[in-house]
Amino acid sequence: MKALNPFFFRSTLIVSLLLAANTASVLAQTTSAPAPGPRLAPATETPVLVPGPITPPTAPSADVTIPESQQADISEIDFDAIVRVEVDTKQPNFRVPWNIGGMGSGNGTGFLIGPNRFLTNAHVVSNSRLIYIKKVSDPKPYKARVVNVAHDCDLALLELESDTEFDSAFKDLTPLYIGGLPKLNTTVVAVGYPIGGERISVTRGVVSRIDFRAYSHSSVDNHLAIQVDAAINPGNSGGPVLQNNQVVGVAFQGYSGSVAQNTGYMIPVPVIERFLKDVEDGSYDHYVDIATSLLNILNPAQRRALGLPNDGIGVMVAVADASGSAGGILETKDVLLSIDGHPIASDGFIEIEGERVDLNEVIERKFAGDTVDLEIWRDGSRKEIVLELKRFIPYLIQASQYDKLPNFVLYAGLQFQPLDRNMMAAHSVTDLETRYFYNYYSQDELYRERPQVIALTEVLPDTTNTHLQPYVHKVVDEINGKKIRLLQDVFDAFHGDFHEEGHEDYHVVRLIGEGRPLVLKRKESAIAHERVKAKYNVGFDHFIEEPEILQLKDLFDEDGEEINPEKEEEETPAAEVEEEKKAA
Amino acid sequence: MSFTKILLVTVFCFGLSAPSLSAQDSSPENSIVRVNATLQSYSFLRPWEKGAPTPRRGLGALLSDNRVLITAEMCVNSTFLELEHPSSGARVPAKIAGMDYEANLAVLEPANSDTDVFKGLTPLELGSSTKAGDKLDVWQIEDNGDGVSTEVEVLRVTVGRYFIPDSVFMMYQVKGSLQSRVNSFTLPVIKGGKLAGMLLSYSSKEQTANILPTPIIEKFLADLEDGDYKGFPNLGISFSQTLDETLRDFVGIKGKDGGIFVRNIAKEGSADKAGIKKGDVILSIDGHPIDSRGNYEHAEYGKLSFSHIVRGDAQTGDVVKVEVIRDGEPMSIDVELARKLPENYLIDPYMFDRGPKYLIFGGLIFQELTLPYLQSWGDEWPNRAPFKLVHANANPEPFEEEGREKLVFLSNVLKTPSTLGYESINSAIITDVNGQTVKNIKDLARAISTPPADGIHVIEFSDFPKIIYVDDRASKVVNQQLTNYGIGQLQRLE
Repeated sequence: MKALNPFFFRSTLIVSLLLAANTASVLAQTTSAPAPGPRLAPATETPVLVPGPITPPTAPSADVTIPESQQADISEIDFDAIVRVEVDTKQPNFRVPWNIGGMGSGNGTGFLIGPNRFLTNAHVVSNSRLIYIKKVSDPKPYKARVVNVAHDCDLALLELESDTEFDSAFKDLTPLYIGGLPKLNTTVVAVGYPIGGERISVTRGVVSRIDFRAYSHSSVDNHLAIQVDAAINPGNSGGPVLQNNQVVGVAFQGYSGSVAQNTGYMIPVPVIERFLKDVEDGSYDHYVDIATSLLNILNPAQRRALGLPNDGIGVMVAVADASGSAGGILETKDVLLSIDGHPIASDGFIEIEGERVDLNEVIERKFAGDTVDLEIWRDGSRKEIVLELKRFIPYLIQASQYDKLPNFVLYAGLQFQPLDRNMMAAHSVTDLETRYFYNYYSQDELYRERPQVIALTEVLPDTTNTHLQPYVHKVVDEINGKKIRLLQDVFDAFHGDFHEEGHEDYHVVRLIGEGRPLVLKRKESAIAHERVKAKYNVGFDHFIEEPEILQLKDLFDEDGEEINPEKEEEETPAAEVEEEKKAA
Repeated sequence: MSFTKILLVTVFCFGLSAPSLSAQDSSPENSIVRVNATLQSYSFLRPWEKGAPTPRRGLGALLSDNRVLITAEMCVNSTFLELEHPSSGARVPAKIAGMDYEANLAVLEPANSDTDVFKGLTPLELGSSTKAGDKLDVWQIEDNGDGVSTEVEVLRVTVGRYFIPDSVFMMYQVKGSLQSRVNSFTLPVIKGGKLAGMLLSYSSKEQTANILPTPIIEKFLADLEDGDYKGFPNLGISFSQTLDETLRDFVGIKGKDGGIFVRNIAKEGSADKAGIKKGDVILSIDGHPIDSRGNYEHAEYGKLSFSHIVRGDAQTGDVVKVEVIRDGEPMSIDVELARKLPENYLIDPYMFDRGPKYLIFGGLIFQELTLPYLQSWGDEWPNRAPFKLVHANANPEPFEEEGREKLVFLSNVLKTPSTLGYESINSAIITDVNGQTVKNIKDLARAISTPPADGIHVIEFSDFPKIIYVDDRASKVVNQQLTNYGIGQLQRLE
């Protein structure tokens, strides 16, 4: 989940992305399904999706008792249901944001999981202009499009643009069936279109490890992942990893050979099923997060100080992020005792279905708007808390962005862009203060004052601004007396009726951590603006859209104070603290 | 710092091949004293340790009364100093009579004052000032005791860094070819038989060298006279040039006037105390107009950075008149020039000859943050050292406003029975211990020496993990074990 949680081991190694491999998991006999859409239930009756628990309850998942030969059996898989996904991409240019960006192409794998539904990795189809699907037995490329994409778990659903084409080419194929979690040291088979040739490839290995780990596509998310030693190479991405004729994962990333050998990773079924369930309503609502940093309670003095019995239960809340699900509800020194009835051990692990897993696994399986029951220990007494779960927005500042045009405002040669991962990388920002805003936006709640942090990213030299070049990469505080909280503020400050008191003839840009103001003469700037646009081939001088991160802007006022709902008493916003009397 | 070091080590070894022997009365072998130093730096990451001792050899200039002038860098963190007769090789132990790391100067004396080891040598006098184009002689001594003199030419007189980053002084830049042979820090530079300066650094590639000039040496020695060393004052501002016409109009600089824009003010520095403010434009200091690049016209040296008015021409305690423009209006401010000692900064910009202050309690290692601590991460420290601490170093104001004198932090946690569960915590800034605000390490030592009634210490942080608890008795047992284990000292509070 998110970077705050100290329980998560975060590897600093860069996981190299593999380009797609594909497989289709299908539900048996789905042809009667009235509406298109993936199905997960093993049932043969109706296309009803299994509600509730995410892991398929009775799916005939692989079991250690199955002989090895059977584990590796993929004889029932129709290879035509495992398709090659060819993608033409357009990489947005965060350095020169008005340029359309570089064209490229790539390919991965996908697989049929239901009527005109193909599953693949998000990174296979990110920044795509054109997507074509090809099957083994047919040279024809079929034009496809993205139905849903989840960058936070690297999964995407595709469909052929033409239902007619689907009916003629794929309708008779059996979609791949999605199984369960494979056991350690059982055999799995990866199928896809990796580098090394044009035709379909099959590799075999065993399940090496099942653990939480970083999903490198978004750069910021951690979920359950399964490590396999089957060869998984660029082009495998998005392809199925099979066991006993069922999908047990989607191949998605690995290390380059120089870092580690025989370590490929696949997205396991619980993550796949969560994605498919989330998009049932047509839109993807993302993972939710309790956005709370926790400290193990392994120290006897800590246990005594918190007044806890010596039962090995409980983890301590260090910080609950103000804009997260637990903001304003959990407090420093609260102890989480149980989550949805699962007792939390003092190392943050719980037991689910006989396995010890990180307590976040409970949250991982939930959806936006779901609740989670927490039993906490506060000031020496037990309390029950129900948290309504929501997505944690601030961490997106460090997430890679896809399928988005760079936002910017250019005025008289000064180019402004919001801080995000793409911008920081494109401009190779090293300025300490700007890195502080980027690194600590979430942890230090810098979004309270500035939902969007805006930096001066470029000065296109002109006679009016030639002395301002040294100030690039710095964070903007105010322009013309207007505090800059959003990119739109930059546009408004230059084009609207704003000026600093006593400095009506100037545009004045004030930077954070820099005492020298950047000043432009108003009457020269308008002409300079047109001159710069012409000289530097600037097609358009601003692009402002409402990014996801702006959901934060209504939570806090100009000074970073929380904006309270009007009827506070009646509408307890996110969660309800029960048994308040106990607290007294 | 390490760049300088490399320069000095690799390049500062001079012997000579075609030297012209000085025709002066005083010659290298008559007025130079060899200095042998043993240096041992303190470890900032493991504050109870010192590093490996290293030798350093240099040449000092013999002054009157058996005093030997040398660069301070020559004896930084020294554990043993010796003076050696240039030709006889006779050695006597030495002591430091005065030292200033910012000005990079030190005066050594024989530890035993009635020695006659330098009898027969001729002390050097300080020469007059030097201008661009002047010829100087760099003095060296061969292994066999013979003197060598190499001529160099002064390219310009400028202002630059000596040893401590951000501490700039006047220097001569000279051109000439110096040969290296004996590993040797610091060489006396002579003009007309008198001391013109001390060689600071030499680039064999460029064949240029920087020389610490007599005017600074003179001030240093004069300051030492009365036994109450005051040091070189500092204005305490950072500025930007006013070459930008639009900025000039904006702040109200008239016509061709110069002036520098004050970007920032060091808290409790001379400018801050006198009421100079961020955003002021300084037009002149002590009657010298400052141009828009920050230079003034020195009577002898020509264009020189304004900092020399403060550091070179004035003394600590002097009051200088500073003309500024504030909000478009001219005004005049009297500034009493003061020196801010490194220990008076929230985060010491340098620290030598003593180890960092620290306290180990049950395996928790607390320290006061210093710049050398951050520099322990190497040249790339701004990118490698813990980010929050690097950021604090660049932005001390919020901490100073909280009333902190020093930034006390938990640098690391040794895995012990007392610190169970806390092993992964590091670089966390402390706010309170046992309910008492921690403004420096002594506050922490005091707070932790009196355990609360339940025997559990409460340590609070500004960030994750916010709060931890450790048992008093268990920690004290651990303290004993750590001492047995070889950590000689569990604290250094002075």
